[in-house]
Amino acid sequence: MRGAISIVAILLVPLAFAMLSLEATHAPAPAAGFLGNRAGQSSRPAAGGIRGRLDLRRLAGPTERRPEVAEPGAGGPRDLPDLRRGVVYLEQAPRAAFDEREPARAVMDQRNETFVPHVLAVMVGTVVDFPNSDRTYHNVFSLSRVKRFDLGRYAAGRSKSVRMDRPGIVRVFCDIHSHMNAFVLVFAHPFFDVTDASGRFELAEVPPGTYTVVAWYEGEARATRPVTVTAGDWTDLEMVVP
Amino acid sequence: MRPLILLACLAIAGEVRAQSLPAEPVSVANGRFVFGAEVFATFGDEDPGFFNYTDYEYSAFRNVRLAVSTELRLSRRLQVLAELRLDHGDDLSPYALFVRVRPWPDRRFDLQVGRVPPSFGAFNKTVYAYSNLVIGQPLAYQYLLSIKPDAIPGNADDLLRMRGRGWLSDFPVGVTRSSPGLPVVNTARFDTGVQVHGVAGPVEWTGAVTTGSLSDPRVGDNNGRPQFSTRIVAQLAPGLRIGGSAAHGPWLDSALDGAIPDGVRAREFTQSAVAADVELSQGAWLARAEILRSAWNLPALGTPAIDAPIVARSLIVEGRYRLWPGVSVSARGDGLWFSDVAGSAGVQPWEANQRRLETALSVSITRNLIAKLAWQRNLRQGGRVRRDSLIAAQLVYWF
Repeated sequence: MRGAISIVAILLVPLAFAMLSLEATHAPAPAAGFLGNRAGQSSRPAAGGIRGRLDLRRLAGPTERRPEVAEPGAGGPRDLPDLRRGVVYLEQAPRAAFDEREPARAVMDQRNETFVPHVLAVMVGTVVDFPNSDRTYHNVFSLSRVKRFDLGRYAAGRSKSVRMDRPGIVRVFCDIHSHMNAFVLVFAHPFFDVTDASGRFELAEVPPGTYTVVAWYEGEARATRPVTVTAGDWTDLEMVVP
Repeated sequence: MRPLILLACLAIAGEVRAQSLPAEPVSVANGRFVFGAEVFATFGDEDPGFFNYTDYEYSAFRNVRLAVSTELRLSRRLQVLAELRLDHGDDLSPYALFVRVRPWPDRRFDLQVGRVPPSFGAFNKTVYAYSNLVIGQPLAYQYLLSIKPDAIPGNADDLLRMRGRGWLSDFPVGVTRSSPGLPVVNTARFDTGVQVHGVAGPVEWTGAVTTGSLSDPRVGDNNGRPQFSTRIVAQLAPGLRIGGSAAHGPWLDSALDGAIPDGVRAREFTQSAVAADVELSQGAWLARAEILRSAWNLPALGTPAIDAPIVARSLIVEGRYRLWPGVSVSARGDGLWFSDVAGSAGVQPWEANQRRLETALSVSITRNLIAKLAWQRNLRQGGRVRRDSLIAAQLVYWF
C-alpha cells in the first residue's frame, strides 16, 4: 500500500510542478537561413540583404543561484550574462547556402562563473573552444539531442573543444556551477546574426526571394516576419519580441 | 527486477514531463525572492537490518521527498533562507531557517543566525539526492547507533546489550522506552545557533556555536551549554581540496541530572569529534575521502563500569567516473569501527562494527532529472541481521 502511495505521489508531483512552471523554454531547432556582418553596414550587398533591429520588450533575468541553504555562506562574486542579444535568422534558405564550407572556430569563454558570450551562433562544422579563464574548475557539458558532450573538469588556462556537427540548439551548462548556462545555435546555412547590444542585425548576401525571418530569444523562436529581398539592396526590418 | 521496471517507467514519464518543468530556480520580484526545489523518490528493497534507517519509521532507501528552499534577498547585506521538507508524503518539517548577514557586501564574510547548516564534515550534502553520488548516505552520517541523549546505560553490559540495535534501543536510566539512537553526525536536521563563515584566498573557514550536538542537532537547548564546531577547507589546486573539522559540546539531556551521582551534571558529558577530508577531481574523475573520530563521555554508574569515553571511527571513500555525457558510475566504501568496552562476558566493541559498499549507475535524462540505480552491501558484526544486499532505484528532479 505504501509503495502504491509513493508511486502516485511521484507521478503527481511533477504534474503539480508543470502547472506551476512559469515559462517553458521550448527551443525549436533553427531549420535553415547569411552570416551577419555589421562591419559592412554601409556597403550594398551584391545579392540582397536584410537589416534592422530586434526590439526586446522584456529582457530575461539572469539565472539566479539556487538558494544556498546548505552552505555556511553566500557564494562569491560572479559576472552576469549579457541578455540583451537575440538571434535573427532565415527559416529557410536557398539550396546553395548549404554548400560545404571551411570549418570555422568560435570561442565560448568561462569567465567569473559566466559563459561569454551567453549566445553563440555558428554554422555546422564549427569547432567551439571552451577555455576556462577562472581560477576554479569548470565542467562544461550539454545533454541536448543536437550535441551531447561532457568536457570533464579542467583548470584555468586550459581549453577543450567541441565540433558542432548538426543544426539545432545546444544548451550548455557547467556541472559544478548550476547557474552557468548558455546557448549555441548551430545553423545549416549562413543566414543568421546575433544582434548587438542595441538589437541591430544584418543578414548579408541573401539571394533575392521571399523568406520568413525568425527572431529567437532565450530558447524560443519568439517572432516571425515574411520578407522579400531584392537584388543589390538592403531590406529594412523591425521585429518586436513582446 | 521491480526497481528496474519502475525506474524505466519513471524515466520515460520524466522525459515527457521535463520539457515543461522549471529548469532553473524561480525568481520573482526582480530576484529578491528565489526558490528552488528537490523532489526525489527512492524505491528500495526491504531493509530488515535497518541499515539505512534514519529513525525507526523511515529508511533512506525508501523515501519520497519534496524539499523547497527559499531565499529572500532583503538587501546585499541581509538575506533570509529557509528549507521546508515533506518526507514520506506526510512528515512536513522546517529543515532550515536562518538570517544571513554580510556586513561588507564585497567581502566574503557571512554571519548566520538561526537554524544553520552544519559546520562539520565533508559529506553533509549527501542528504541532498542531487549531490549524492550514490543513493544511501555514509554510515557516519546516517547509521543509528544505540546511544541516546535522554537515556544512558547503567553499566557496560547495558551498553553492549544494545549492539546493532540503534534503530530502537533502550537503556535503564532516564527515558526507558525504546526509541531510535543517534548517528555520529546527524544530517536529518540542522542545529540552532550562530555561524560565521569567511573566505580568504584559497582558504574557506566556518565556525559555529549551537545548542545541540553533532549527533543531536536541536532547535531548543537541552543541556545549558553550547556546542562549538569548526571547519577549514583549503583549495590547494583547482582539483585538490583538503579540509579539517572539529566539534565539541555536551550531548546528554539535563533531565538526566538526577540520575547521575555525586552532583555531576549531564552537561559535563561531551561529544568531541574531529575529521579530515580530501577531494580530488580531474577530467571525468571525482574522488573524496574522509576520516572521522568521535568520542562520547558517559557517566560510570554501575559495574562493570564504562570508565573511558566510547569512541567511533569512520573512513569514507567515494568516487565517480563519467562514462558518457549524462552517464556516470559511482561507488562508495565506508565503515564504522568502535572502541572496546569490558563487560561481564568479556571485552568487545561497544557497538557492532559495520562496513558498507555501494555502487550506483546514474543517468541524467535532462540536466536536472536524474535516475539512479544502486546496489548496496552491508556487513555488521552484531545485531539480528548481520549482512544484507539491497537494490534501490531513485528518480531526482531539482531546480
